[in-house]
Amino acid sequence: MPRPGFVLDVDRSTPPILFHHGETLRLERLPAGRSRVLYPGEPLEALDDPDAAIRLALDNPLGDSAPLRALLTPGMKLTICFDDISLPLPPMRRPDVRQRVIEAVLDLAAAAGVDDVHLIAALALHRRMTEAELRHAVGDRVYDAFAPDGLLYNHDAEDPDNLLFIGETKHGEEVEINKRAAESDLIVYVNINLVSMDGGWKSTATGLSSYKSLRHHHNVATMLKSRSFMDRHKSELHSSNWRMGEVLKNSGIKVFQIETTLNNDTFGTSGPMSVLQKREWEWTARDRASFVGMKAGLDRLPVKARRKIFNSWQAPYGITSVQAGEVEAVHEVTTANVFKQQLVEIQGQTDILTMGLPYICPYNVHSIMNPILVMCLGLGYFFNMYRGNPLVREGGVLIMSHPTPWEFHPVHHPSYIDFFEQVLADTTNPLEIEAKYEKQYAEDEWYRHLYRTSHAYHGVHPFYMWYWGSHALSHLGKVIIVGGEARSVRRLGFTPASTLNDALEMAADVVGRDGTITHLHNPPIVMADVV
Amino acid sequence: MKALVFSRQPAKFAAAMVAGRLRPGGGARVGPLSLRDIEPPALPGPGWLRVRPRLAGICGSDLATIDGTSSRWFEPIVSFPFTPGHEVVGDLDDGTRVAVVPVLSCVTRGFSPACPACAAGRINHCERIAFGDVEPGLQSGFCESTGGGWSTVMVAHESQLVRLPPDLTDEAAVLVEPAACAVHAASRVDNDNIALIGSGTLGLLTIAALRAARPQAVIIATAKYPHQRELATTLGATTVVDPGELDRAVRARSGTMRLDNGQLGGGIATVVDCVGSASSIAQALRITAPGGTIHAVGMPGVTTVDLTPLWQREIALQGAYAYERADFDGAIELVATLDLGRLVSATYPLHRYEQAIAHAAHAGSRGAVKIAFDLRSERERDTI
Amino acid sequence: MVNLPRVPKLPFPYSTPTVPDTVEALPAPRRLGAHYQTDWARRYPARLARVVFLEAVLRPAVAVLGAPERDGIDRLEGLTDGPVIFAPNHHSHLDTPTMLTSIPEPWRYKIFVGAAADYFFRTHLSAAASALALGAIPIERSKVSRRSADEAAALINQGWSMLIFPEGGRSPDGWGQPFRAGAAYLANRCSVPVVPVHLEGTAKILRKGQRRPTPTHVRVTYGTPLRTEDGESTTRFAERIERSVAELADEATTNWWQSRQRAALGTTPSLSGPDAPAWRRAWALGDRSRKRRRQTRSWPKL
Repeated sequence: MPRPGFVLDVDRSTPPILFHHGETLRLERLPAGRSRVLYPGEPLEALDDPDAAIRLALDNPLGDSAPLRALLTPGMKLTICFDDISLPLPPMRRPDVRQRVIEAVLDLAAAAGVDDVHLIAALALHRRMTEAELRHAVGDRVYDAFAPDGLLYNHDAEDPDNLLFIGETKHGEEVEINKRAAESDLIVYVNINLVSMDGGWKSTATGLSSYKSLRHHHNVATMLKSRSFMDRHKSELHSSNWRMGEVLKNSGIKVFQIETTLNNDTFGTSGPMSVLQKREWEWTARDRASFVGMKAGLDRLPVKARRKIFNSWQAPYGITSVQAGEVEAVHEVTTANVFKQQLVEIQGQTDILTMGLPYICPYNVHSIMNPILVMCLGLGYFFNMYRGNPLVREGGVLIMSHPTPWEFHPVHHPSYIDFFEQVLADTTNPLEIEAKYEKQYAEDEWYRHLYRTSHAYHGVHPFYMWYWGSHALSHLGKVIIVGGEARSVRRLGFTPASTLNDALEMAADVVGRDGTITHLHNPPIVMADVV
Repeated sequence: MKALVFSRQPAKFAAAMVAGRLRPGGGARVGPLSLRDIEPPALPGPGWLRVRPRLAGICGSDLATIDGTSSRWFEPIVSFPFTPGHEVVGDLDDGTRVAVVPVLSCVTRGFSPACPACAAGRINHCERIAFGDVEPGLQSGFCESTGGGWSTVMVAHESQLVRLPPDLTDEAAVLVEPAACAVHAASRVDNDNIALIGSGTLGLLTIAALRAARPQAVIIATAKYPHQRELATTLGATTVVDPGELDRAVRARSGTMRLDNGQLGGGIATVVDCVGSASSIAQALRITAPGGTIHAVGMPGVTTVDLTPLWQREIALQGAYAYERADFDGAIELVATLDLGRLVSATYPLHRYEQAIAHAAHAGSRGAVKIAFDLRSERERDTI
Repeated sequence: MVNLPRVPKLPFPYSTPTVPDTVEALPAPRRLGAHYQTDWARRYPARLARVVFLEAVLRPAVAVLGAPERDGIDRLEGLTDGPVIFAPNHHSHLDTPTMLTSIPEPWRYKIFVGAAADYFFRTHLSAAASALALGAIPIERSKVSRRSADEAAALINQGWSMLIFPEGGRSPDGWGQPFRAGAAYLANRCSVPVVPVHLEGTAKILRKGQRRPTPTHVRVTYGTPLRTEDGESTTRFAERIERSVAELADEATTNWWQSRQRAALGTTPSLSGPDAPAWRRAWALGDRSRKRRRQTRSWPKL
């Protein structure tokens, strides 16, 4: 029986706490008496037979939807869209849940005599997936059956010939999505709901859309009003997507949404990495030996080798639920299932929030976690891992641990380099950045070219990274990065500190000597239900 | 009188070349520059006056001379032994404070009529800089007859004197000469898209001059050090980047494509090179748009550069030497309005010339911009 | 008085972490007792070490203490080389060494001993020693444990013979205890024969509770192998094994013919002795000794 997550009050008997630190790890002793640690729940039991669960879900849809079987007719145009490389994190071991679902859908489609099928990676402005990545996501059988004929491909948000303007929401937001999907008789969307932000109408209204459409919710104003964007009912990001979903629905586009949830088994329950998801006082001699060995090895290896080791890690995630049917009904159940794994109740806010940032975020799979992504992961994703109130009080301090190297993946993140060197050198204020620079980057021909033909994130993507943290930037009194390369941390507008104790001393200047500390013990993913 | 004298001493010159390559500024210790007690220069003819320098700047070309890295091109247009120092603010015998326009043109050399360039006012294009009343020398500070700013007395022709407004500090005044270079360089730029390489004294002054001349211009400047970055921004650069980031900054600004080896498809119309090294010229060639212009403001010297882009993109490589007389008026206004006297980071007495030159050679890394000799406190100054 | 330098305590993670006061510690990982893994003791290095130990240490020790003699080996002749379960009565720690040295080839070197998980596998040291020296596997005696049974059955199916004392523990007073069904269950489950064995005399050398061994003579009597009959329950089979051992005990104290006669009449004396107060049971023990044939040498190797 997996134990739920909980809040540990740090006392003098508490051993040092694990902090992820990019491609290495740190153990930090938190001050007794004023610190808490928010631990994630243990991995929920996985479904015994996921394939059977998928078939069951397809035949018993939620909400106002017929079973998939009944929606498939001979001669119809079917488009299967699926989440891209940003999910799940880290990539899961084969078979990927997308492969299982897509194969089940295609089985039904074949039985129903559907001939015209396209598969589209719904990656919006993310980088195009490589063949290996697509194969990993959809499986070799699906890839070999569709890709050679050009029926399995990446969505292209900059292809004017393959986008269709659908209409405007009542707020004047333009809705434009992939033309093939829009003109299909049925879109089947295959999702992985790793965190509560994913899924719902965000799948189609964001994943298949263009810059023109995206900018209506990927902007500073929306992010400032999303508190948090992990809580769909208090997130303007989602409200906007839901309004766009309404437009899609009213225009006659039919979406059959299939959402899946995974458990917290990020590092495995046995094996070399398993120590990372155990509670420190439960580390056995073997765990401690593997930790010491792992840390000693990682600290001595060159950063490239470390990255290679971590990038090759595939999580043994278990599938905990599959829901299918009408988007909104499906998403309600899905979020509940996500919360079941991730949500942990915690009393009250804290003055200082600490977090150890791991080696991966949604945008650096098989890549480099550059300083902008460090900001996005810390102030965007981890900071927003709350429901109710932010974990840290307004004016509080955020302390993150990450090496923050001044390093960028030249293929994946070309516009990030320029953003970092030029935009951030000028200002770190999201509103100013948005007003002054976004258009230039969004319309840059070269970025557009790289996005469409290479494997680069869209030119405007680093801006979204920055916007993702805008709520945190306006909320926090100070941001400190422990162990970060000083000049890149300063470029981000944050304060570098060499040790956690130094950081806590700096934080004391803002919140006082007795400021309470809460450590977000993430990953595996935990979301705070602040009451 | 006391003067720093640069004489023709081949052995010492060779030593300076070695030392200067090992460590910039190293030529001062072992080279042909020495502090001597010499006779004050005689007045070469009518119209010449004595100038007692107050402050005299150390320029990049002075450093190149001291380190033996400057081009042999200068050999016939300098005369040994000479006292360096062409950025001079000084007193006339009647107490008038003046800046010196160091270019030794036809008028100073007693030619009448003047050569066509001088006649047209373009004294920096003078054809007779090695002839006439005074010894060869393109400027005061490179000529045996005139002496130079790094001494307590020099001589200057009345046409070389620029009277200074009384409220202008000596520190600002010593920058008038380099500022005139900057104003002159800026006057040759005819475009609002500018990349500027180098944020030394000349680079910073050129940024200021470009901003004054072209309020709408986009100026992307490179700066190596934090104080340079800050000054470049306050003096008017739109974007300031590290030297290694310039290519990307130009690409982002122009939205052009980038090829596999990093070279750009297009570029920026105007590049102002205020460094003058092989790498800065090569970088300038990489980022200049087809049909664009590179202004070589920093003194280049002997360099090896691949000129293929110059040919393939029809880039104009344009020199920018010195100034016309009128540029000094713009320069005085510039230093006065922007309070550029703050760029003088340190001053030294003559006898500490080795330290002064070492400081000047490492100005950037030591957080400085302009280093100058302060002659106001030389004891013998008032007795001559 | 010499002040020894204090050895600094290594910090976590080099030492065991303390548990936060507010948190309940995990139950200690169960790697001892019935959970002790003994696979390593059946790999060749360990088996070789066991043979050496058996022949070089145990056999001379048993010979000195018990000068044992052995009866009824001929009854095993009908058996194939397959696995067998030996089920002797149990009086003494000496029983296992005696049995291990006494059991004939081919079973002697491919045998494991069912040993009490709560006694032999209580600490890492004794667990490792038992597994290595005796080839023991932990068997829960207090409760029916599926884990122990599965492990034993798996080994039997792999061709290993088993030595198990069905009484589940040494006799506290010299009389036997009722046989438990373990041996019968395993024989039934794996369809292997059970060889009833009677050990006489080991109790005199080293009774339960006795510290110093007293050398005397030991007699090991092997009975006819038993197999489950159709429709026979495990309990009935266990009773039959017990009866068989009782008959062997009778045979060892009287002679074969008498024991057969009493067996036919159903008057074989129970192993567990009279149902009477302790002193009478102890008294009655004296009756069972008989004048023995004097034989000094140990049995030959077969």
